[in-house]
Amino acid sequence: MITCELHEPTGLAEAAQLLAQFPGRARLLAGGTDLLVDLKSARTTAGHLVSLARIESLRGIESRSGLRLGAMTTIAQIERSPLVRGPFAALRDAARLMASPQVRHLATIGGNIASAVPCADLPPVLGVLDALVVLWSPHGERTAALAEFFTGPRQTIRREDEVLIAILVPQPPPRFGAAYERFALREGNSIAVASVAASLTLDESGAMRAARLMLGAVAPIPLPVRVVEEVLRGRRLEETLDEAAEIAADAARPISDVRGSAAFRRRLVRVLTRRALLAAHQRARESSHD
Amino acid sequence: MTELRTLNVNGQPRTIAIEPGATLLDVLRDTLRLTGTKKGCDEGDCGACTVLIDGAPMNACLLLASALEGRRIETIEALAAGGDLSPLQRAFVEEGAVQCGFCTSGMILSATALLRDNPHASREAIRHALSGNLCRCTGYAAILRAVERCTGRCDKCAKGAEHRATAPPAGAPSAPGSAAAGVGGCSVGRPVARVDAADKVTGRAIYTADIALPNMAHGGILFSPIAHGLIRRIDASRARALPGVLAVITGADVPENTYGVSPARYDEEVLARTKVRHVGDPVAAVAAVDETTARRALSLIEVEYEELPAVFDALEAVQPGAPLVHDRYERNINTHVSHHFGDVESAFAASHHVREEVFTGNFVYQCPMEPQAAVAFWEHDGRLVLYSSTQAPHYVQYMLAHVFRMPLGRIRVIRPCVGGGFGVKAATNPLEVCSAVLSRIVGRPVRIVFSRSDMFHYYRGRHKQHMRFRLGVDAQGRITAFKSEIHLDGGAYSSFGVATAYYAGSMIPTLYRIPVYHYDGYRVMTNKPACGAMRGHGVPQPRFAFECLLNMVAEDLGLDPMEIRRRNAMTPDTRTVNDLDIGSCEFRATIDQVERESGWREKYGQLPPGRGIGVASGGFVSGAGYCIYRGQVQAQHEKGPEHFQKRSVFPHANAVIRVSEDGMAAFLMIGAAEIGQGSDTILVQIAAEAMGIPHERVHIKSEDSDISPLDLGSYSSRVTLMAGNAVAAAGAAVFERMRPFAARLLGCEEADVRARDGVCFAAGDPTRTIEWAEAARRYFNETGPLVAAGCYKPPDGLGGDYKGATVGTSPAYSFGTCACELTVDLETGKVRFDRFTDSHDCGTPINPQQVHGQVEGAIVMGAGEAIMEDVQFDDRGRILNPNLHGYLLMTIKDAPEIFSGIVDSYEPNGPYGAKEIGEGATLPVMGAVAHAIRNATGVWIKDLPITPEKILEALDRRAGARDDAREIKGVAKVPVGAGP
Repeated sequence: MITCELHEPTGLAEAAQLLAQFPGRARLLAGGTDLLVDLKSARTTAGHLVSLARIESLRGIESRSGLRLGAMTTIAQIERSPLVRGPFAALRDAARLMASPQVRHLATIGGNIASAVPCADLPPVLGVLDALVVLWSPHGERTAALAEFFTGPRQTIRREDEVLIAILVPQPPPRFGAAYERFALREGNSIAVASVAASLTLDESGAMRAARLMLGAVAPIPLPVRVVEEVLRGRRLEETLDEAAEIAADAARPISDVRGSAAFRRRLVRVLTRRALLAAHQRARESSHD
Repeated sequence: MTELRTLNVNGQPRTIAIEPGATLLDVLRDTLRLTGTKKGCDEGDCGACTVLIDGAPMNACLLLASALEGRRIETIEALAAGGDLSPLQRAFVEEGAVQCGFCTSGMILSATALLRDNPHASREAIRHALSGNLCRCTGYAAILRAVERCTGRCDKCAKGAEHRATAPPAGAPSAPGSAAAGVGGCSVGRPVARVDAADKVTGRAIYTADIALPNMAHGGILFSPIAHGLIRRIDASRARALPGVLAVITGADVPENTYGVSPARYDEEVLARTKVRHVGDPVAAVAAVDETTARRALSLIEVEYEELPAVFDALEAVQPGAPLVHDRYERNINTHVSHHFGDVESAFAASHHVREEVFTGNFVYQCPMEPQAAVAFWEHDGRLVLYSSTQAPHYVQYMLAHVFRMPLGRIRVIRPCVGGGFGVKAATNPLEVCSAVLSRIVGRPVRIVFSRSDMFHYYRGRHKQHMRFRLGVDAQGRITAFKSEIHLDGGAYSSFGVATAYYAGSMIPTLYRIPVYHYDGYRVMTNKPACGAMRGHGVPQPRFAFECLLNMVAEDLGLDPMEIRRRNAMTPDTRTVNDLDIGSCEFRATIDQVERESGWREKYGQLPPGRGIGVASGGFVSGAGYCIYRGQVQAQHEKGPEHFQKRSVFPHANAVIRVSEDGMAAFLMIGAAEIGQGSDTILVQIAAEAMGIPHERVHIKSEDSDISPLDLGSYSSRVTLMAGNAVAAAGAAVFERMRPFAARLLGCEEADVRARDGVCFAAGDPTRTIEWAEAARRYFNETGPLVAAGCYKPPDGLGGDYKGATVGTSPAYSFGTCACELTVDLETGKVRFDRFTDSHDCGTPINPQQVHGQVEGAIVMGAGEAIMEDVQFDDRGRILNPNLHGYLLMTIKDAPEIFSGIVDSYEPNGPYGAKEIGEGATLPVMGAVAHAIRNATGVWIKDLPITPEKILEALDRRAGARDDAREIKGVAKVPVGAGP
């Protein structure tokens, strides 16, 4: 049994007040799928849990020049939302692959990001969609690029008094495609051993106007690979694919654990990068026919 | 702060006090006593606690109950409102989708949510929706069938066929030579639905952890955090001072008798006295008013250890100078088996071809969905009552008698529903002993339940075996000689390991004719949790290795793998080189069926790169020929050494049947342990058949040692044959007692009385009938209760005269063959199973649906064992993955399509011709998988599990060596999809 007090604020101001009231002892509770397990096993402790579940403004997906996803939107809602399709299909793919159906009904996009677990599924995809996170505190709101949000395993730029309230995904340009490729040791209810998200914007000639690549589970943080983005720009995918895969594999900083060795992960990055780029390219080409 | 909250549970407002940190799971189970929601891992990995919140499936263990006010909570108990099963529940019952039942509630709720959302869900959608619900028994095949049937999209619906699970109508196999000859019925041979299924689909079935007795205390066990060390000091004062703590015990407070499994090696202490030998060794135990207090108390016990050098590898442990796990086992060798039959070196010298290979197994944990649990209390007259999740109630009773120095009759063991065992619940465990010790001290019932992590640290899973095998054949591929040297990593205690070491050698010659055989087995102690008996006990890894080697030799000779098996296949009524007597044997028929059904000839060697097909065979005993302990059952555990005799000195299975006074029901009492495999149903069918009444009238009481006579339990695939024979004998005896009364009522000769389906009639004049119940009533009215007993002793003289000849003896052996088709992603090494084709000689099945259920479950377990299951340790002996997200069981999305075939066979020693299926079906699987991977990729992986990483490394090595290999001449062309 977890020993703690549970607080269920109905507004952000109230939540902030609670955080301020119990400095260092309060933890924000989103879906709870990681936090409750950690609390049960005493890997972490918290005297006060501040649940965000009753703050209505944090729920739901809106479409306004892109997507605005409330931080408490569940993975299952993302998986099923008619808004998460088209250029955002990779986000739906990642949601669909994540954990189990039961956990997807509980876990939230905000939790998946803010917990900053290196193998999380949504951050790589959100990164290549150029998503922004919205951090709220009583002192005001700020936004940050998702790719800049993570500073280490379970560490982020979020200050203790801040609440991650939403994720903004800008409307991609025409001829855009994104894809998520992930390797896990089993088909259902699995954890990524390595994952790669890629997005491409093509110009009229079919060359790459812009590219994004982000790796999951192979570095202390979801890892953007900027160098690849430079290398790909202005070129055609066929001629750069191998190079991109090599650069991504070099950029990875994997560890060895029960799911695989560092060398194996690096190798997966090479394969998954190719696959993700090809899939993103395919989607970009298909979108240009729309 | 604990507050009153109102939850909407199953449509009713429930106002209860809830602690803020309490999960919904604990509130449902402990406060509301809705125990249909199961706790399998408490970490959101297994899905056994799935409930619906506002219609969506969620893990109750990941929800804080106090945050759920205003939400609609549905548990399994809501589904059969009004007493009628929902269509989905009915489908689960009838399709055989329920075995141990522990995953069933969650599985049904996930499926319910899916079908409400999407009534015509596709197979893919079903797999997606159920992928968060782990099942260890069924292989998911029957579950998929049950859900699919409710979508109206299944094959049967399309054909307008009936769904009732009671398929083949009349003409069910009669019973030639059975104990009940003269009685013809219609129960045996039919796919009768399980007798416990309705309770399991509604959440009514009670498992040990569901039991909450009045005034019950909660216990917990403290485990060693280090792998090897001396206990210098234990200070429990802070734990004892904690309010709510009732008792804290250490090694000084428990009986001194060590216990275990093999009498010569009782080397387990109830709680460690001076030394700990693995991470997870029990050191202390507490009883407290609730689980939270018990757990907190454990954290307050201070233990000071002096750490000792430890050894973790079996091959290192036998080296001179390695740390000794037990002083008594020199070079850490717990057992050395030396079985030499014939002159193996001369036979190799005379062979046409000889190949030697080294194989390595993995640590595989049984991982039943239900964690072990025990509840103990002492009655006013000093009798001990123990509820336990056990496979072998009698052995638990016997071992408690030994530990507490009490007569067997003063110990009552009750086995509630058991959520799977696969071997891990076959030995007496610390929960059973500690709950009894604590209960005696505190004078209250004490319940202790393992967490998922505790389960892994207690382990008793598969031994990791290091196998050096050498196989010789003649020019036709006939085996000339086989030599096997195996080091089994046994962990820190003996447990079942002595038998494991013998089984690893003794079962190899049962499948193929091997004229010359050498086996040297060493079971080695290491500072890891003890290994024990797991499905296929000791045999699956050697069988995997042997089947791989046989396939390699077939490649070397350019022989088809099916053909080399046929050429060497065991034949009926044969005595093996190690003196095992094979009776019925339709092994060749299984090879032929698999070859046909798998499309072998069109596929082997013809598939594109990355796709492969492979084959292997396997088989097992139908019950061990001898009891684990020697000598007779006696009142006390103390006894002088008894000279071993080659006969069972007491019956291994015993049954009593009492017919109700009105003749309308029969109560079958037998100690055989239903652990999910379906033995209660099988035994009911046999009893009904033997008496000539419908199976619905037979009620089994198998859970209570006070009620039911001794049966050795569910291990070594013994229940169908041994308990089945005892039940058939008891049923026949009931009928014999009733016969004169029926004859009088029918007005015929006693010898002419027949019974079938509840009706007695006269042979030769089927128009003259009376109700069976009427004859039974007449019996009662005139002579009192209609009761009869039956028993079964294995045949005398089983086995040879050498040391260890008893292990592997059995009244009957099963045989099977399995083909695996799979696809390998050659860039990532990922394996996807496409299809398994299995064929089994299990004699004449009592219940074909249950046979298929065992096969499907065994295939999925074996396939997972082959590619993903592996308990991993760090360099200090700590388990890295003691949970269900690090230790991977296959999900419904991973599970392959399965063809399960049964060949015609009849075993004279079995009831109605039946023999085993439960373990034998596991044995061919790993070899078939390894062969299919070889076929798909061109590489043999000889160490388990065959992970993607190992496949890629092997592909790299092959790419490097390919040029060299081309130079070698005379190597037969290997039919490999991805070959050069």
